Amino acid sequence: MTFAEQFPIVFDALNVGFVQTLKLFAVTLLGALPLGLIISFGSMSRFKPLCGAVKTFVWIIRGTPLMLQLLIIYYLPGLAFGNPIWGSGESGRFVASAVAFIINYACYFSEIYRSGIQGVPVGQQEAGQVLGMSKKQIFFKVTLMQMVKRIVPPMANEIITLVKDTSLARIIALQEVIWAGQAFLKGSQGIAGQLWPLFFTGVYYLAFSGILTILFNKVEKKLSYFKI
Amino acid sequence: MKKILTVVMACLLMCLAFAGCGSNADSDMEYVKDKGTLVVGITDFAPMDYKETKDSTEWIGFDADMAKLFAEKLGVEVEFVEINWDNKALELEGKSIDCVWNGMTLREDVLAAMDCSQPYCNNAQVVIVPAAEADKYKTAEDCKDLQFAVEAGSAGEDMAKEFNFKYTPVVDQATTLTEVKSGTCDAAIIDSLMAGAMVGEGTGYADLTYTVGLNSEEYGVGFRKGSDLVAELNAFFDECLANGKMMEIASEYGVQAAIITK
Repeated sequence: MTFAEQFPIVFDALNVGFVQTLKLFAVTLLGALPLGLIISFGSMSRFKPLCGAVKTFVWIIRGTPLMLQLLIIYYLPGLAFGNPIWGSGESGRFVASAVAFIINYACYFSEIYRSGIQGVPVGQQEAGQVLGMSKKQIFFKVTLMQMVKRIVPPMANEIITLVKDTSLARIIALQEVIWAGQAFLKGSQGIAGQLWPLFFTGVYYLAFSGILTILFNKVEKKLSYFKI
Repeated sequence: MKKILTVVMACLLMCLAFAGCGSNADSDMEYVKDKGTLVVGITDFAPMDYKETKDSTEWIGFDADMAKLFAEKLGVEVEFVEINWDNKALELEGKSIDCVWNGMTLREDVLAAMDCSQPYCNNAQVVIVPAAEADKYKTAEDCKDLQFAVEAGSAGEDMAKEFNFKYTPVVDQATTLTEVKSGTCDAAIIDSLMAGAMVGEGTGYADLTYTVGLNSEEYGVGFRKGSDLVAELNAFFDECLANGKMMEIASEYGVQAAIITK
């Protein structure tokens, strides 16, 4: 089979794989962005047991490899309790991957949120109090707004890392783009022993992270009002 | 705090204990029949389990077709699930699949981790070298000075150890070929079914070829430990050998020479 004949087959297969990659990326962001905020509140809580528990949890999640967390979340229910809650099929593997990614990324995000919130000068909150704002108003209208500005660069960093981390999900056989590329190494759809599809997946990651970079630059510019 | 921890631990332990009892007491065959599907763990591996074209949704191949017949005999649906080969034992014990039926070599680690059927197909481990140098390496003795690449934990690695070859373990069989092609290793050891599909004319490894056969080995089907499906499958294999069904399917996929007829 010539390269020209191989290309459409490989291209189709990689596209299917990349849709899975994008789905995992999107679902992780949707889940981890709010969950991260909740975790950051927990780690800043003045109620000591809660603060301690949350910090221990963040330590465990940030301190162990995501690959290990994927294996544990997917296999442990079946191994320990004889009840494979996720099911065998691709959709179950996707849900398990999404859960692992959301928990993992929420912990990283929570620390970025915390740095953003604690980085807003106390004077800002005091000014809110002087103006007679409630605690809730101060948080949502003063602190949160300024936090968002501060965290854009570190969040962009983490989100671009997420694009590439999605490839870890193939450890539990989620058929994302790298899996799709590797399939042609050992043979699939009549194409065997081909290396180039695997390397070609890099183009997908590059293009997508390029788009994200442009997007985040725009967001950063838009939020750069009142810069001191 | 300590008290709470103790209670939580005790609960967890009890859950584990009960879960253990539950799964051991039931027959695996009943478990499969109850849920109505036999979930077969596979990888995309022609001619055993593969899809004919990119649009086909059905898995075919010698193993896939036999699995369909076996499920039919049990009176359940068959579902093929692509797994990560490194985790096949985990998938079985975690019950996300019910058997591994994918040209699996009956090696010690496999036999230790699962209960396997009788061997049904022969295979061999072969040496892969660049085609230009193939003439120099006709016997295992000729290969003594080569630097080998083998799949970590594979039958190929066992062979490299047995023959005292110098070798580097890599992540899978395909990568061993990349090592040879890129010149980072001199030769690779992979199984002959795979070699037939992956090297030579018309593949990405047209300049590689296979020479020495190092051993012969056998394929079997893996089930959970203690599963009563093993005996059921062995009886099914005997039946298919006797009525010629197995040979018929094997001829369809060109593996009839490798079938074990006893």
